[in-house]
Amino acid sequence: MKWVKSILPPVVVGIMALVGWELTVTLGRIAPYILPAPSAIWAELVAQRANVWAAAVASGENALIGLIAGSAIGVVVAMVASRVRLLSEISVPFAAVLNALPIIALAPILNNMFESTSSVPRRIVTAIIVFFPVFINTLRGLREVDPVHRELMASYAAGTWTFARKVRLPGALGFVFTGLRQASSLAVIAAVVAEYFGGLQDGLGARITSAAAFTAYPRAWAFVVGACVLGLVFYLTTLIVERLAMPWKSRLIT
Amino acid sequence: MSDRVGAGVPGPKRAVSVSGVTKVFNQGRPDEVTALSDVDLSVGDGEFVSLIGPSGCGKSTLLRLIADLIPPTRGTVTVAGEPAETARRKQGYGIAFQQAGLFEWRTVLRNVELPLELRGMSRSDRRDRARQMLTLVGLEDFTSHYPGQLSGGMQQRVAIARALAVSPPLLLMDEPFGALDEMTRERLQAELLGICAKTGAATVFVTHSISEAVFLSNRVMVMSPRPGRITAEIRVDLGERTEATRQADSYFEAITSVRRALRSGNTPAPAAP
Repeated sequence: MKWVKSILPPVVVGIMALVGWELTVTLGRIAPYILPAPSAIWAELVAQRANVWAAAVASGENALIGLIAGSAIGVVVAMVASRVRLLSEISVPFAAVLNALPIIALAPILNNMFESTSSVPRRIVTAIIVFFPVFINTLRGLREVDPVHRELMASYAAGTWTFARKVRLPGALGFVFTGLRQASSLAVIAAVVAEYFGGLQDGLGARITSAAAFTAYPRAWAFVVGACVLGLVFYLTTLIVERLAMPWKSRLIT
Repeated sequence: MSDRVGAGVPGPKRAVSVSGVTKVFNQGRPDEVTALSDVDLSVGDGEFVSLIGPSGCGKSTLLRLIADLIPPTRGTVTVAGEPAETARRKQGYGIAFQQAGLFEWRTVLRNVELPLELRGMSRSDRRDRARQMLTLVGLEDFTSHYPGQLSGGMQQRVAIARALAVSPPLLLMDEPFGALDEMTRERLQAELLGICAKTGAATVFVTHSISEAVFLSNRVMVMSPRPGRITAEIRVDLGERTEATRQADSYFEAITSVRRALRSGNTPAPAAP
C-alpha cells in the first residue's frame, strides 16, 4: 500500500505530462523540427529499436569503461593524497582546475591522437570527467575519521596500513558512493557527447547528430530517449551496488 | 572512611603505577596549559579506582597517559610493571569511552572481534571468544545486528564487551555511562562490577558522578583543576554491592565525604553540580 502511494503520484504526473505534450503538439500544429509528438517519437523508437539498442550498447560500454577507470584512479589518488599532507593540499586546487576545464573540448584533440576506429578517446574523456567527483568525495571521507576510532586503534597498537584498511577505507565508503552516484550519470553524458566531436561513430551521440542532420527529428528524439534510459540504468545500478556494498545502511538514499 | 579489607589488596606487582607525572599541552606556546601537575597514583591488581573531579581537572588526561595515547611531559607511567608503551603494544589493557565508538560497518560480533583480529587470533577462536563476551554483557541475541540498530545502552555494552575481549588485566574507562539515562546507568554499573569480579581485572574509571564513583570503587581519587592534581583519596568499603547498597547509610556517608573533599579541593570555584 505504501509502495503504491509512493509510486503512483510520479506515474500519474508523468502520464499527464505526456498527454499534455501530445495535445500541445497536435492541436497547436507545432512543426516537428521544433518538437515532435511523443507518439511519433515512440513510433520511431519501435521502428529503430535494433539501432537504438546497438548504439546504446556501444555508448554504454564506453561509459562503463570510463566510469570504472576514472573511479579507480580517483579512489587511488585520494588514498595517496590523504596520506601525504602536502599532496592533499596541492591536489584539491589542482583537481578543481581540472574540473573547471571544458573536458569535452579535449575530445577533438584526443580523436586526432588516435585512429578514427578507436573507442579510446571517448573513454578517456569519460574517465577524466568521472575522476573529479569520485576523488573529492573519497578524499573528504578518508580525512574524516571519528576521534574515538583513532584512539581505539592507537590503543590496539594498529599500524598505519591496518588503520587504513580497517577504519579509513570502510569509513569513507559512504563518501565514495556519493561521488559514484554523481559520476555514473556524468559518465553517460560524457560518452554520448564526446561523439559529437568525431571519432568512431557507433554510439548514441553520433546517431542523434546524424538523424538531426537528415531532419529526421522524431528519430533523433528516439535516440535521446535511449540516452535517458541508459543514464537511468547507470544511476540505478550504482544505487543497487551501494546498497549491496553497505548493508549496514538501512535506507537507500541518506 | 573505614579501613578497606579484602578485595583489591595491592600485590607486589601493581596494575598501574603513576609517579611524579606532569602533563603540559602546547609547551612553549602562548596557549600552554598544565593539565596535570606532579600526580602519583597506584592501582593494585583487581582494584577498582575512580577518578572524579570537575571538568578540566585532568582526569581524562590521566587516563590517556595510562593508556599511552599521549606521552607524559615529566614522570613515569607503568602498567603491570612495564612502561605504558610496552603495555599498549601488548594490548595490556581494554579501554572504553563515553561514545561507544563502534564501527558502524561491522556487525556487533565483528566489532567485539576487532581487537582479537589485530592480535592475529584465528577466525574461529575469536568468534567463540567474542560470543562469550557478548553473552557476558547479555547481548548474545544481537551478534549479527549492526550498531545502528541498537540503543545507546546496548551500544555501550558492546563497547565494554570489546574492551574485555582480550581478557586484559586492566580496564580503562572514560565516563562510559555518561551519555546514558539513570536507569540504564545503574543496571550497567551493577553488570560492570559483576564482570570485574569474574575477570579479576583492575579498573581505572573516570566519572563526574559522585554516587557512581562511590558505588563502583574501592578507592575514589578526588581531583581539582588548574593545575590538575589529586587532592584527596577516599577509601570506600561497602562490602559486596547489591541494590540495597544504594540505600545503605555507609553509602551515603561515603558520598558525603567525597562531596566534602570535592568542595574543599575546589575552592573558591563553586561545588560540582
